[in-house]
Amino acid sequence: MSENDAARDDQARGDRARGDRARGDRARGDRARGDRARGDRARGDRARGDRARGDQQHSGGSASGATSDRQRRSWARSGQQRRGRPSNEVAVVGYAHSLVRRHAPEPLGVLAVDTARRAIADAGLEVADVDGFVSASMFPTAGAHAVEDGTSIVSSQWMAAHLGADARYTAGFDGVGALTGSLALGVNAVASGTADYVLLHRALHNPVGSYHANPMKAAVGWQQWTVPQGFFGPLQMIALPYNEYLARYGASREAMAAVLVEARKNGARIPWSYWHGKPLTAEEYLAAQTLVDPICRYDCDIPVDGVATFVLTSAERAADLPNKPVYIAGYASGLPPRRRLAQHWPLDDIMDAGFGLASRLWERSGVGPAEIDLPQVYDGFSPFVYFWLEVLGLCPVGEAHRFVQAGGIDADRPDGLPALSGGGALGNGRMHGVPQMLECYLQLSGRAGERQRDKATIGVACHSSPHYGGAVVYSAVPF
Amino acid sequence: MTAPAPPTTPADTSTPANTSTAPTDASTASPAATPTRRPLPVPDEQSAPFWAAVARHELMIARCARCGAFTHPPDIICPHCGSTDPGFTFQPVGGRGTVRSWTVVRQSFLPGFDVPFVLVDVELAEQSELRLIGRLLDGPDAPLRVGTPVTVAFEDVAPEVAIPAFELAGEA
Repeated sequence: MSENDAARDDQARGDRARGDRARGDRARGDRARGDRARGDRARGDRARGDRARGDQQHSGGSASGATSDRQRRSWARSGQQRRGRPSNEVAVVGYAHSLVRRHAPEPLGVLAVDTARRAIADAGLEVADVDGFVSASMFPTAGAHAVEDGTSIVSSQWMAAHLGADARYTAGFDGVGALTGSLALGVNAVASGTADYVLLHRALHNPVGSYHANPMKAAVGWQQWTVPQGFFGPLQMIALPYNEYLARYGASREAMAAVLVEARKNGARIPWSYWHGKPLTAEEYLAAQTLVDPICRYDCDIPVDGVATFVLTSAERAADLPNKPVYIAGYASGLPPRRRLAQHWPLDDIMDAGFGLASRLWERSGVGPAEIDLPQVYDGFSPFVYFWLEVLGLCPVGEAHRFVQAGGIDADRPDGLPALSGGGALGNGRMHGVPQMLECYLQLSGRAGERQRDKATIGVACHSSPHYGGAVVYSAVPF
Repeated sequence: MTAPAPPTTPADTSTPANTSTAPTDASTASPAATPTRRPLPVPDEQSAPFWAAVARHELMIARCARCGAFTHPPDIICPHCGSTDPGFTFQPVGGRGTVRSWTVVRQSFLPGFDVPFVLVDVELAEQSELRLIGRLLDGPDAPLRVGTPVTVAFEDVAPEVAIPAFELAGEA
């Protein structure tokens, strides 16, 4: 950066600091006025209202047209009341994504560094500009695979060191909703001035051999309560709440075929996807034997080697960079309501916590489900699609299976909700929330190429389960 | 309405499904070809009374000495009252409960389990949301719905080692 740029940055920081103080005063005023109970009730009413609006919009099939200035002013007004820092203060300004393969020929760390260098260049920056590094290193296998930095995972510190960066801040998120959690670390680092340009990465590895099989002979600690009983691994974890859903709402595997067909249709159009050029038919889906009823192989995202990297910076600095920024309007994470046996995820736990997450998400981002025109629901296991559609208020509770079966998430239909337009995990490979975030970035920045949608202004990217995961609202314009 | 009709044969685990990458991997071979033992619990200071009771075919659940609520598994802090000194003691329970969900496991990622087998997610009668997960010993064709009554059963898997499981409670 030139000295002029630096001076302008300092000026911008000063302006922002003054703005921050003003906002801080307002926030303190809100708290002083705030009657906690009243606030909670208001939030509840709002959440119900939002859901009702969502129902109206989608059952009517009349997806709203281009976002009007009036709508945007309305968000801004509500945002002043509801939103806090750092809504829309931080933006995604560049990205790179590796090929998604079953087994990459190069070590994961090599793939990660190459992808990071491409993302930094894509953002119009140099490695020396990047001073913050955030990521999540979870290696989501139940198998007995070694965790080795640079080989099976890539931590933020490993990335910073191997890029040769002059890092001022490195951090890793250790929860389940990995992408939301690590993005939040980056957003807050930028908003607080801890770092100016933050690289967010996610590196996923598929080890040789069975992904989840575990030869364990002795169940120690927390595993003694589930493993000797035969309860083990993510497929069983998701099979129980999915079966609860089927029993409670009269859903069938036939409905889920629509989810798989949609994810693989969209994934087949993405050049770097593992499933590029390989759509799936409903017949193929339904012919697959179940592994852990009612879950079959196609309900699970396929383990892969792949890396995605994004660059974050302040909205002010983003204005000087080559790509159209995509603003982070708000984020929220889930919190399980009860302590359970390991990997015991009852349906009510997922949904109860999910409604809380959604309520916080709308509050923090200043928008509701009716304003979302690019909802990218998480689909690492296919039932998550139902859970997210329902907790976000995009369809009524218990109705997601009918909604998808009726073509409700067909991204090619003018009235369809493009909930898996980025292919999701089922259509790309086990990239842990990356396809959802990337689709929001590409569409809202106008960089989706042949896949560019006419209307994409507010997106939400979900990751993991609503009760352990998170969601982020992205906006094409700051409001 | 619920789960699809179960196939009559176990899943072909030699298929390179997305969860198993190498068809030749020994860990995906048929369990019958390489009989192995199920993983056994390793009792610790806290859990020893539980496993000792189970070996005698008795089900005992940890109960907080401060608030009286059951917790499974026991924790270092009572999740009900928040006590950091919960003084958990294992108390006998009736072993009766209802099925909240279930699954038929056709591919096991652990050694020593013959597939298919049924897992049930059971809410014990003693306390709301007191849930255990275990095998249902009535076989994969057992008629199940949400609310089906079950009762605890025990599998003797090694000398002095039993594992809690469930069976249909019947009409009684």
